[in-house]
Amino acid sequence: MVEGKKYRQFRVNKHLKRLMAKHYALGRYQRYWGRPLHRKLAWITSGAPVELLRAFKIYSVYPEQYGAICSTAKATEKLCQAAEAAGYSQDLCSYARSHIGSILRPDLAPMQGLPKPDLLVACNNICGTVLKWYEALAHLLKVPLLVLDTPYLPGELTEHAHQYVLEQLQNMVRQLENLTGRKLDMQDLKRQMARSAEMTKFWREIRELAQAHPSPLNGPDLFIQMAPIVAVRGSQEGIDYYRKLKAETEERVRRGEGAILEEKTRLVWDNIAIWPKLFNFTKMFTERGACFVTDTYSGGWAAELASGDPLESLAATYTNIFLNRSPEFRARQMIELVEAYEADGFVMHSNRSCKPYSLVQEVIRRRVMEKTGVPGLMVEADMADPRAYAEESVRTRVEAFLETLQAL
Amino acid sequence: MDSTMLTAEKELDFLLEEAALRGKNAAERYPEQRFFGYLCSYYPEELILAAGLEPLRLLPGSGPATPAELPSYCCSLARGTLAEAKKGKSGLVGVGMAHTCDTMQCLDGIWADRFGRENVLTIVPPVLLNAPGGLRYYQSEIEALSAKLVRLSEVQKSGQDRSYEPSNNHGTEQEDAENEGNRFESEGDGEGDGERQREQALERAWQVCTRARQLAAELDELRSRLPSPLVAALLRAGQLLPKERFITALETVLPLLHTKARENSGRYRVLVSGAVLESDSLFQMVEDLNGRVVADDTCTGYRHYAQNTVEGVNDRIAEEKPKDAGNPRNLDDSKDDENLRDSQYKIINQIVQRYVNMPPCPCRSQGLEKRLDYLEALALERGAQAAILVIRKYCEPHAWDSVPLRERLETKGIRTLVLELEASELGGQERTRLQAFLESLGN
Repeated sequence: MVEGKKYRQFRVNKHLKRLMAKHYALGRYQRYWGRPLHRKLAWITSGAPVELLRAFKIYSVYPEQYGAICSTAKATEKLCQAAEAAGYSQDLCSYARSHIGSILRPDLAPMQGLPKPDLLVACNNICGTVLKWYEALAHLLKVPLLVLDTPYLPGELTEHAHQYVLEQLQNMVRQLENLTGRKLDMQDLKRQMARSAEMTKFWREIRELAQAHPSPLNGPDLFIQMAPIVAVRGSQEGIDYYRKLKAETEERVRRGEGAILEEKTRLVWDNIAIWPKLFNFTKMFTERGACFVTDTYSGGWAAELASGDPLESLAATYTNIFLNRSPEFRARQMIELVEAYEADGFVMHSNRSCKPYSLVQEVIRRRVMEKTGVPGLMVEADMADPRAYAEESVRTRVEAFLETLQAL
Repeated sequence: MDSTMLTAEKELDFLLEEAALRGKNAAERYPEQRFFGYLCSYYPEELILAAGLEPLRLLPGSGPATPAELPSYCCSLARGTLAEAKKGKSGLVGVGMAHTCDTMQCLDGIWADRFGRENVLTIVPPVLLNAPGGLRYYQSEIEALSAKLVRLSEVQKSGQDRSYEPSNNHGTEQEDAENEGNRFESEGDGEGDGERQREQALERAWQVCTRARQLAAELDELRSRLPSPLVAALLRAGQLLPKERFITALETVLPLLHTKARENSGRYRVLVSGAVLESDSLFQMVEDLNGRVVADDTCTGYRHYAQNTVEGVNDRIAEEKPKDAGNPRNLDDSKDDENLRDSQYKIINQIVQRYVNMPPCPCRSQGLEKRLDYLEALALERGAQAAILVIRKYCEPHAWDSVPLRERLETKGIRTLVLELEASELGGQERTRLQAFLESLGN
């Protein structure tokens, strides 16, 4: 039931909680079950080719996702301060700072920090920061760091860039063989990739259901429900969960049930969520009948795997990630979302912690407004650090934007 | 003073004046040249020269800049250079971006949006310089960029496209001067001639850049015996002047500098590491506070010129050489064609080797330890007692490295100050910090 202006909860959320709790519990106790089975634990960036690690029976956890958990658990500020006291600038990514803070001060950290990894895997397709962050982690923890360099694409993926990434993946296979003592089973990699593709397909289809009027999904749903596609991508449990979520979302569409009561305005969201204020921020919109029907952030995990043999496919898929593309590409993507989801406007989170996402937003905003005729609002905040959120200023801007939009 | 020294003094004044101008109105002051702006030391100047253009490093103007395209939490280098470009009238043929950090990646897109992708030529060097396939990839990027630069130069020269700055109308007289002014191009016709010209132009450009780097190295060797702001300004001038004019001037000036060089007894010996410093403010302040910059690791300083040869890279290039490189494409190809392609391949690889072997930059990864080792060795070799790690506000790569770098240098007994600056101009607060830091070295 939607009560008042609150939005509708998914019944499957209880399964989501169980799924994610199990994922983190397995990580936490990996040293007990993983070592006897000769299975390693990796910390991995969200844009790294996890399918390859799965084929080597490596258990992966995501410090970026942990950064979001720290933020929703209201632990970010103190963890960031711990990192800042150790010399890390306040201008660095708040996920990175809070994660480093959790290593320096586990007593302040949710779950007392992430379990110590056997190796680190970073791919710079989402930002250059992850490389510096993981270099710092390797320096602090004295564990091997494997890096996949996916060249930025000002235009389309070139043959030589594809070849370069492919050669690195081939080398990463050799490194993983040495680290794990296992040989790569190409059939297993294909199976991992097939599961990844299936899960991604479910996620894409779930997101597309929000094209219905009213939308069965709102921004917080997208941000919360994306957890499995990030953390357990390629797992059977993940596929099973998304099957249930899809069924419930379809049920909402059949019944004409919106994620919020009385959907009046449909919006597209751009950038990572403002985790410390996720519900507080969204409430300003839901109170006025505005629903975030889609977004660019969680959509980043809905891209199809490229064709070709497994390593060629991974090379193309992971280099073509939207954050590794030009503002022109990203503007086109936004325009397509505005059109496909029949949005009345869009909101961009100018995120101090994520420069590759944010620094080009003004250019994208102008282009999308020009091509679609819908207005776009820019709100400055931070994905994890609550100190960068100016409540009153944000509220004033949001109210003015919605008043204008709804008067049109 | 004899006439040689008098000429040298004049040339020194000229170089210092050029450094102070930061490249402003370069096209007006050198109407016979066609300037191509670039933003990072990883942008191969050789390729710009070989295309018949003059490289000009883009620097922010003085004072705060707030272009609407960029948010406040973006470094002043990006904001300042974009604001300068938006003023127009730069007279540039185009602009080159080398992918380095997230901010430069975004600036590339913003610049292309504003000035047209065809006028913004981007190179994306490998971040992992020692990754398998990295050299071959880098070579392909350099070859592609070289072709784009030549095309842009030709289109611009033939007057087909003046869209970079529509307000800038070049007259016929200037076009004639431009055509005459290019010493990197030679007459010829036919495809084979074109290839040969390209090879010659690349070879000539390589020689010019190498000469500039040799002179810069000689200057860098003198730096502990010369005023720090003087050395910084001269090195910056070399990125703002027509390259051969810089070489002529520095060749004239260096003998004078040798006579002026004095041992810096009593001054604190300092290493400075950071990104772009568009003014001499920091160097002047160090000097004023009884310090001397004996080692420089800045993008606009010696790092821009360093041309080391590291063993093993040639072997890697040979290993990664494509199977058809330097070989005839088909049976009809002549021996001359084969030699030509092999020769071009070698020049391109020389260029690749130079950029791969530049002193480690925080935006390129060869493992964090390599950069720490390099800076530790540089500090020890130059006898630095202290290090100043300059971080431009919001510059993430340098901010990240500053933590382990300070730890490493301090472990080796080198006192280290992390100095965060909004731009390259220092104020009272920075002076107080620097003074306290340098004075503490005497204790």
